[in-house]
Amino acid sequence: MRIDPRSLGIAAAIAAFALLTLGIWIPADVESGVVETFRRRTVIGDALAPTAVAIGMAGAAALLVVSEFLNPRGSGATLDRHSLAFVARFAAVIAVGLASMTHTGPLVVDAINALGGAIGTYRELRDTVPYKYLGYLLGGTVLVGGAIAVVEQRLTRGGALAGIAAAAALTVLYDLPFDDLLLPPNGDQ
Amino acid sequence: MMGVLDHVWLGVAAVFTQAPVATVFGLPISIVVVMVVLGFLGGIVVGATPGLGGPFAMAISLPILITIFGFNPDALLPVLGFLIGIMKGATVGGAVPAILFNTPGTPDSLMTTLDGFPMTRKGEAGKALRIAHFSSASGDTFSDLVLFTCAPFLAITVEAYLDFPEKAALIVLSLAFVSAVVGDSVWKGVLAALFGMFVAFIGTGEDHHPRLSLGTDALAGGLPLIGVVLGVLILGEVFAALEDMWREKRATDAIAAPTATGDNRLRLRDIQRIMPFVGMSAGIGTMVGALPGIGSTLAATLGYATGRRLHKGDVRFGDGAPEGVAATEAANSAVSGANLIPVLSLGIPGNVAAVFIILATETISGFNPGPAVFRLTPDQINSEMVIAFGLFTAMVFANLLNWTVGGVFMRSMGIMVRIPKQRLLPIVLLLTLTAIYAQRPEMLSIYVTLFFGLVGYLMRKLRFSVLPFVIAFILANNLEETVRQAFSATGADPWFLFSSPISIAFMSLAVVVVIFFARGRGGQENGGTQQDE
Repeated sequence: MRIDPRSLGIAAAIAAFALLTLGIWIPADVESGVVETFRRRTVIGDALAPTAVAIGMAGAAALLVVSEFLNPRGSGATLDRHSLAFVARFAAVIAVGLASMTHTGPLVVDAINALGGAIGTYRELRDTVPYKYLGYLLGGTVLVGGAIAVVEQRLTRGGALAGIAAAAALTVLYDLPFDDLLLPPNGDQ
Repeated sequence: MMGVLDHVWLGVAAVFTQAPVATVFGLPISIVVVMVVLGFLGGIVVGATPGLGGPFAMAISLPILITIFGFNPDALLPVLGFLIGIMKGATVGGAVPAILFNTPGTPDSLMTTLDGFPMTRKGEAGKALRIAHFSSASGDTFSDLVLFTCAPFLAITVEAYLDFPEKAALIVLSLAFVSAVVGDSVWKGVLAALFGMFVAFIGTGEDHHPRLSLGTDALAGGLPLIGVVLGVLILGEVFAALEDMWREKRATDAIAAPTATGDNRLRLRDIQRIMPFVGMSAGIGTMVGALPGIGSTLAATLGYATGRRLHKGDVRFGDGAPEGVAATEAANSAVSGANLIPVLSLGIPGNVAAVFIILATETISGFNPGPAVFRLTPDQINSEMVIAFGLFTAMVFANLLNWTVGGVFMRSMGIMVRIPKQRLLPIVLLLTLTAIYAQRPEMLSIYVTLFFGLVGYLMRKLRFSVLPFVIAFILANNLEETVRQAFSATGADPWFLFSSPISIAFMSLAVVVVIFFARGRGGQENGGTQQDE
């Protein structure tokens, strides 16, 4: 079997990360050195552990390449353009779901205020029914229903109902029994 | 002086008397008992659901439990009791879809399908389930007894003979072992472990400036333990499983319920017939379980292979032999108790279930698994030892539940296989994110979890094992602290890891293990068991 170029790619990427960490990240973002001597007392600095690990990563990446040359077994990797297509779709669903979760409540409150409702800010209402549920219910439904739609490759009534039911059930599970639990996004508001 | 028996008694009392929540026939029922029962029954349900498993349930429930019970030591036994219940229940429940529908819910129940499903086709599903339950409960009980006797002695030995350099070397050895034995490439295992350690070092350290934090507040406090672990272990698996289903565009067909036409009772002669297989597999599973990183899948495979050699009956293994079901189930169930030996005696988690036990103890104060747990101090109660014996008591209680109601409950769980996986896993995703937020109410914790979900997904796609990553992530700061102390204790000796025969032996063994498995894997085909997690 010939050497799988993906194995070499993986090893090269890891080695590059390790070298960048050793050459740039650690020197720039760690205060103390590998070993520090202060008032005649020598102690281990904060840089030792990440430095040792980065050296280990570079070495293990090199050994991964060597082992591939000695026994070309293939990387076994199943990451391909289909994976990227799936990740793109799934990431879009998650992004829309989380955006709905974060912004629905404040947007609804702003809209009511704009229409002359004068109900106050979302922050003041984040523990008030129904405002505290709006974002989670919509965002949760989009997240679950959207993920089901991605996998089933079509939007079905069953998938949408599963999303609504899941978001509603989790709202009941978390919010009703526990006074001090906050559903997303109410802790950030 | 407070002796061991006093601690045992206090542990038993803590389980059965802590914070009674109800009274049955005049007897107060403690919160710990209630949580073990709930965990056990929930574990059977989850184990019987294809695509889920004990780790899923433990991951989702841990943040909720911590939110309910808080962070003080009183929370330890209810939370640990629930997790232990799930662990045991899921082990039993995993046989249900394997036997009834030829659908192994977890890798370790794959071997159960080989004889379990043929028995179902012969109309003996009831007998197969009863044999699986009997064997599973037997293996689990045996393993627990080994845990109860071995863990304290191992811990006392470690505490007596190992100083900081030896303890640091022991952690290195454990990480090397896990990296080498899990997955199909030793070097990928080592890389996964090193990456886990690197992530753990972000935002930590002793300097005023939190290292590797890129000047951001988000990284300055270190990455949240539960978010990272749940992301890599649970969300990574959810993403990968959803992608597999997306690729296959698999239609979910209705599954016909099996009919029971043959002999479905478990008779004394059946038990006599399977006992040698149960005994053999329980021993194999216990030995395998005591080693970090080697989990129930290998135990089930070894148990089945050994049983096949031992078997001389009319029905061959693979054709519906009850001995095949017994050999597999006893072996994979015997792993669960023995897995806690390295946790309780060394503080080193060896598999995913043990990771969640460690996560619970890391989050809740008052119990630090490790050699100090079993230390006796004159005229003082060691509260950690009381918790440890409370944990043992909870395990015994869960075993009693298993022997009494476990079988009946398990046999009623065939319906769980009808839940379509492609609809269940997105709900698990939302549940996990909600649980994470409940414990740390900021969207950042959700983003971190999703990011590490992507990391876990990529690791799976690139065939990197996630278990070394998780275990190294958990142990990294402990290792660094031990190394700092060892360095100071040896007067800044740079060769402190080689300062005593024991530490030299541990470090040499770490190198030998890696080289041995690297050479051993050289001729093997790729694509074997990815990981036993």
